[in-house]
Amino acid sequence: MRLQFILGEIGSGLRRNLSMVVSVILVTFVSLTFVGAAGMLQLQINQMKGYWYDKVQVAIFLCGEGSAAAGCATGPVTPEQQENLRTLLESPAVSQYINDFQFESKEDAYKHFKEQFSNSPIVDSVTPDQLPASFRINMKDPEKYQIISETFASQPGVETVIDQRQVLERLFSVMNAASLVAVSIAGVMTVCAILLIATTIRLSAFSRRRETGIMRLVGASKIVIQLPFILEGVIAAVIGAALASGTLWAVAHFFLGEFMSKQYPDTAFISPAQTLLLAPALIGLGVVLAGTSSLLTLRRYLRV
Amino acid sequence: MIRFENVTKVYDQNARPALDSVSLEIDRGEFAFLVGASGSGKSTFLRLVLKEDRATSGIVYVAGQNVANISSWRVPRLRRGIGVVFQDFRLLPQKNVFANVAFAMQVIGKSRSVIRDTVPEVLKTVGLEGKERRMPHELSGGEQQRVAIARAVVNRPGILLADEPTGNLDPTTSMGIMGVLDKINQNGTTVVMATHDDDIVNEMRKRVVELKNGKVIRDEARALYTSMIPVVGQSRRLKDASGRDDAADTSPPLPDRSPRSREDQL
Repeated sequence: MRLQFILGEIGSGLRRNLSMVVSVILVTFVSLTFVGAAGMLQLQINQMKGYWYDKVQVAIFLCGEGSAAAGCATGPVTPEQQENLRTLLESPAVSQYINDFQFESKEDAYKHFKEQFSNSPIVDSVTPDQLPASFRINMKDPEKYQIISETFASQPGVETVIDQRQVLERLFSVMNAASLVAVSIAGVMTVCAILLIATTIRLSAFSRRRETGIMRLVGASKIVIQLPFILEGVIAAVIGAALASGTLWAVAHFFLGEFMSKQYPDTAFISPAQTLLLAPALIGLGVVLAGTSSLLTLRRYLRV
Repeated sequence: MIRFENVTKVYDQNARPALDSVSLEIDRGEFAFLVGASGSGKSTFLRLVLKEDRATSGIVYVAGQNVANISSWRVPRLRRGIGVVFQDFRLLPQKNVFANVAFAMQVIGKSRSVIRDTVPEVLKTVGLEGKERRMPHELSGGEQQRVAIARAVVNRPGILLADEPTGNLDPTTSMGIMGVLDKINQNGTTVVMATHDDDIVNEMRKRVVELKNGKVIRDEARALYTSMIPVVGQSRRLKDASGRDDAADTSPPLPDRSPRSREDQL
């Protein structure tokens, strides 16, 4: 009975205040879309980092079938060459610069590739043979990359030595800057949303002051009086958050999935499903925003 | 039922107290008028009973409980035991008579079947049978006040506070309302009514508590609006009640209520 009553109150509140409710929905929608965009950029960075990025800095790729590099004149890397490289890595001259290293076989490489590019059509056209084996090196000081590069680049059986960080870092710094911008805009929009929710709840409380006055007098509990107002704000914010989640999904599906992944087939993009992981966070954020701002407003403007 | 012990209420440190060391007891089932000029402390008295305000000093007991000891989340429980009626009715304009009364039950979580049974019964008590579907604007002032009274008593409070319930009504209609309040009082509810309406007080012959400048200056059983014993500063008031004064002291309470209950029934 009480639940039904509260639902009825919410319904009448939303109807009476429709234009304000719509603006709350739109403002939370925009602000949470920016929050979500920042989240998506971070997800995308993680996706591009792949398996090794946070574990190692330098990769020594070994020769495979048909490698064109100078060190690969003798064809694919042989077990002896591989063993020599390992010995060299373990020798004091080199090992003083590195924490540790790992060998990635073609099969491991294929496995990691499949994980990283799971959203991309390219994954079906790649076989383990096409991927090079590699030594992955965790440097004590990443700045000493040059030493490793000089030592190994000319070794037989080595196709190339790559400082992965250098390749990706510049891109990541751009993306991080972009997410910072998104977060800043989201911050401003969130302040907007909080103030707008507060104003809406205040108007709503004012337009229903007769009812709440009577509720108070006949001894309705605080919850019964306040809950409809709080839920009004929360419902509007949740709708906004759902719209924001839908927008992010659409961006991942249509822009990244259909357009960008065709333009840049060798880049791993996040999947639409991954953006849906952001949805609960956005909705949670919306609920917290609306809940706290309406609660604080009610404490000031609705005597209980 | 309501007991004030040396209660003082100060709103503004620089002004005189709204209530000044008031001690007063109103028993269960009593009917008491609270009279006095505007600003004499009548409304403050009612607010303290409802715990709308906190007494500056002294103790307010309602139904045996010191209201100062009621925590804020238990205040609704206190208020469920008190019905309140106002001069301006305070009905919900978009709800019909039934819904207005039912509202008081809905918000404290009464079940639909209880509401369906209780509301018509209460409407009958206040003399509004058959008007359940009317909207407030379709009712006369007296009828609207009856709806407000029905709403105040539908949860069967032990106390009914009425703050000038007849202030907006003509004398005849007012007497009808008094009949309803009296009926509720006969059913065991303690009624405290703040009023300026001397005719009503004189007609009812109930206990009268007179406040002036926050002090109780008179507390008489079966009294008139104006004191029989002249009080300093009260003599001005005697002019309109002087005709009745002679007989007042000895006359018994009115034997029946029939002259009053006939009015305000359309």
